[in-house]
Amino acid sequence: MEQRLANSWRQTVNEKNFIVNALLSELRVDGRRPFDYRKLTIKFGKDDGSSEVQLGHTHVMAIVSGQLLQPYKERPNEGTLAVFTEFSPMADPSFEPGRPTESAVELGRVVDRGLRESRAVDTESLCVLSGKLVWAIRIDIHILDNGGNLVDAANIAALAALLTFRRPECSLGGEDGQQVVVHPPEMRDPIPLIIHHLPIAVTFGFFSNENIMVIDPTHHEEAVMTGRMTATVNANGDVCSIHKPGGEGVNHRVLMHCLKLAHVKAGDITAKIKDAVEIYNTQRALRKIKRHSSSVALDVGGTPAKSGEKQNQVDGSQLPQSKFKDEASSMECDATSSGQEQNNKRDGVSQKFIGGPSSWDPYSECVNPDLLKASLASHGPATQRTQKGSRSETKAEEPPQEMKIDSSPTDAGLAAAQNNEGKTLKDAVKPKNKRKKKKVSSNSGN
Amino acid sequence: MEIERPDGRSPNQLRPLACSRSVLHRAHGSATWAQGDTKVVAAIYGPKSGTRKNENPEKASIEVVWKPKIGQIGKAEREYEMILKRTLESICIRSIYPNTTTSVIVQVIHDDGALLPCAINAACAAFVDAGIPLRHLAVAICCSVADDGYIFLDPNKQEEEKMKAFSYLVFPNLNVSVLPERSSQEGGEPTAHGIITSVTHGAMSVDDYLHCLERGRAVSARLSEFLRKNLEPKSSSESSRAG
Repeated sequence: MEQRLANSWRQTVNEKNFIVNALLSELRVDGRRPFDYRKLTIKFGKDDGSSEVQLGHTHVMAIVSGQLLQPYKERPNEGTLAVFTEFSPMADPSFEPGRPTESAVELGRVVDRGLRESRAVDTESLCVLSGKLVWAIRIDIHILDNGGNLVDAANIAALAALLTFRRPECSLGGEDGQQVVVHPPEMRDPIPLIIHHLPIAVTFGFFSNENIMVIDPTHHEEAVMTGRMTATVNANGDVCSIHKPGGEGVNHRVLMHCLKLAHVKAGDITAKIKDAVEIYNTQRALRKIKRHSSSVALDVGGTPAKSGEKQNQVDGSQLPQSKFKDEASSMECDATSSGQEQNNKRDGVSQKFIGGPSSWDPYSECVNPDLLKASLASHGPATQRTQKGSRSETKAEEPPQEMKIDSSPTDAGLAAAQNNEGKTLKDAVKPKNKRKKKKVSSNSGN
Repeated sequence: MEIERPDGRSPNQLRPLACSRSVLHRAHGSATWAQGDTKVVAAIYGPKSGTRKNENPEKASIEVVWKPKIGQIGKAEREYEMILKRTLESICIRSIYPNTTTSVIVQVIHDDGALLPCAINAACAAFVDAGIPLRHLAVAICCSVADDGYIFLDPNKQEEEKMKAFSYLVFPNLNVSVLPERSSQEGGEPTAHGIITSVTHGAMSVDDYLHCLERGRAVSARLSEFLRKNLEPKSSSESSRAG
């Protein structure tokens, strides 16, 4: 279809020559050396088993999920692993929705081969009932932004997601021991997969000149290069797979050199993945502890908190007081008016949870909700809640105060109380918060 | 009467909002929008030549692709695509680029309730990032009705499942909050108080629905302010990224 062709990106001859000439002097267009990787960032989502990887401009998301299914006939004792790749149309104007193109299938196959054949994921531990029920692990890879070298990024994303995935624990029950009971995550902690090693894919690009070879090509370089090879190696030096689909013929000495390079790079990347997963796991453990500590705070909170409330209302920042709203009807912004009811309400509600979203500041740029939650959760639930849904009576009152926040975002004044609420409110609500904060901090070591 | 929600919000309180623009490099415009845990990425590929067979070639057409987090594209996704398409068509100035197609791709990163409003907000921000002229912005909100007739805004997934009914409402984004001088002169746009889109699930009484509309309209002013504040600062350092 013509309109599609008109929109795909065509490389100019000038660009091509520029890239090749620069490579002759061992320079790449983005300033890297031929054997340097781009900046790698690994982030995790809210659920277990979802990861987002950014390799330079390439952005890939992987999600791991598990289901109980029947095993294959030839392997009744093993779980199954399946990789699904989605080249989202948002990644590249030439990607179209619908059937996966051959490059999407190729990417899926390379990632799959690295994991399956090398037995990186232990499938025998996924068996629940031999011959009847096993865990089928499904990896969905979404390519969000094509900046080149999708295979490496997708592989890292898949590995990161696998490392953080947790499957529900299940046990056998029933009279004949044939019934499978799956325990929900609230009752029993889900368990991680057993991963023996991490096969890292390293992609090389070859150019018409034999001496030129690059690692981690960008999509401009991919349009120029005449051959590619993906070597999947793990940190121990085992070659899990080599994928060189046609293209320029390459001397075997060059290939051996590539494998040695891949081994070095695999070590680096494995370390990065493990660090990121460590951080995620500690955060996850903290979240779990906070969830448990909230149930303890319920009993303790009781009466002493109420005395602190009054103090909070009076000398704490006036802004949060004015924003605080009764759901009944009118929004009286005086601190004294709905005094007691607000006390009780805030008390009752705030004790019910710690670590949930308790306030937000719409005027800070690009608030990262995770950071926000993490920072607020550690300051306890008594931090203010900014109310939405103003009624007409108070609309006039609100804008002037909000203007204050806008004009002095970094002021140490009242307006900034919103942003630095941890500091100022902490002073204001010390008696009440201390108890909860102590509990939280003692458990989580904040 | 105290109504308690599982995460401790009050009935009129929204979850924390987060919006970032220009997150992708190849797309002409992109934005992420997060309401609490629900997070959506929207990408726009600016006007491409040609329209599909069924589309009117005298106007710009919008093509929406909805990508769920896991699984195949089914009927629900097609419905979301259709609603998003119609909503975006009403805010775009379609007569500017006749016989072109603008692609909007929405990827669900996490679904924790109020998914469609989140997607509409993300798509709107992505349009601004792409520099495509719009008649006005749109903000979307989800209002749910509990069994006792009480209305809760922005429910998360648990709440959505428990509620008797909920509705997604899309309102035009008023510009009076940003340009206070102008508001005294003009009476406001004729469509400034309209409802662009309304999708309901479940059965609710007419009164409940009208209450939802009231609440939604009140909150939309807040959302509009947030959206405009968020879209402003970057506009000075914007550079064209088409092609």
